Amino acid sequence: MKIIKINFWQMFTVLAMVLLMIGSGYSQREKWYGALTYSVSIPSGDTKTFTDEISWRGVGLDYRYLIDRQYSIGLFFGWNVFYQRTDKTTEIGNGAITGTSDRYINAFPIMANIHYYFGERKSIRPYIGLNAGGYYMLQRFELGVAAWQEDQWQWGIAPEAGVVVPVERGFGIMLNGKYNYAFTGESVFGTDINNSYWQINAGVVWEP
Amino acid sequence: MNNNKIAHRTILLLALLSLGFILVSCYPGETLTPADSDVVATFFDKEADFSTKLTYAIRDSVTRIDEDGNPVFEVGQYDQQAINRIKANLDQAGFNEVGNPAVADVIVITFANKSTWASGGCYSWWYSWYYPYYGWCYPVYYTYQTGSLLIVMLDAKATEQKDALWVAAINGILEDTSAGISTRINNSINQAFTQSPYLGEGK
Repeated sequence: MKIIKINFWQMFTVLAMVLLMIGSGYSQREKWYGALTYSVSIPSGDTKTFTDEISWRGVGLDYRYLIDRQYSIGLFFGWNVFYQRTDKTTEIGNGAITGTSDRYINAFPIMANIHYYFGERKSIRPYIGLNAGGYYMLQRFELGVAAWQEDQWQWGIAPEAGVVVPVERGFGIMLNGKYNYAFTGESVFGTDINNSYWQINAGVVWEP
Repeated sequence: MNNNKIAHRTILLLALLSLGFILVSCYPGETLTPADSDVVATFFDKEADFSTKLTYAIRDSVTRIDEDGNPVFEVGQYDQQAINRIKANLDQAGFNEVGNPAVADVIVITFANKSTWASGGCYSWWYSWYYPYYGWCYPVYYTYQTGSLLIVMLDAKATEQKDALWVAAINGILEDTSAGISTRINNSINQAFTQSPYLGEGK
């Protein structure tokens, strides 16, 4: 059994710091803003079939450019970890298998997005938006001393609705909900699947 | 940059680091005990009519196989326990034991073997700040032994070579206490029959 260890948070921190520095140094004032959010994810569809537990491990990083008073375009990066241990019996075509299995999905959404904001600048601004791009999915299934793993890119979209609450100049709070849906995908067992999950995100917003 | 902005940046960086620590592992997991490694898989012949299978004959020893697939003539510590447990489950499923295989509906044979597994690990290139080159791997850093028990039910009335009527494959790590292994063997054999309710159709 080969274990690949990924220390992603170091990479993530570097990426976030680079974006912060770029935003501080080169962007036009009040045109860009960033958001860092903590994510709770609720699996649905084929994702729920594989890991039927809420994910408490998640993070998202948004960078948005306001093209006018109502619209922004931007980029989103995220990381959500789904995990479940079960010992249920799985029926197969001509038999059954029982054992303790560990199931993991590491989803890394990387998406471009567009958002529409209601209300006026410097007020509480509800918004709706659409993220489009895909997910780098690491799926792993361990049973007994064996493991199956599938790493792949899955195309997908994530409609989003949320609100930005200004706290003071250049700083605020963001709350949003998303539905993530991957159009393409293959399970660790080689069958076609569509990963999907609901997300609740809360975090901070800053203007460079 | 005024003081407020510096404070906000600091909060952001602290938030980032906190989130990083929350996400420190791609593969969160609970501790694995040897029993967690146990897998019980059962397969049956879809065309078999188990309601007509009422009697069984069982070989009263476990056939042991080495890692190359050759038979080994030795008796294992848990062999008799396994045979007794299989018999108890067959009786509970409604079968009656007969001494003469020629008059039995099915014949049950039990195989066992041990395998040595090795596990290693790799670091990805980004794991280390000061090693910005290709990933690198450990040599094998631990090995463990697994044991398998195979219970095979054959049609005693078959007139040509055919698939087994039923096969139960039980596998688990052997690094455990003697009492632990004993309990796990019993539990796994019981589970093999529990997940094969069709065996009792002739009851």
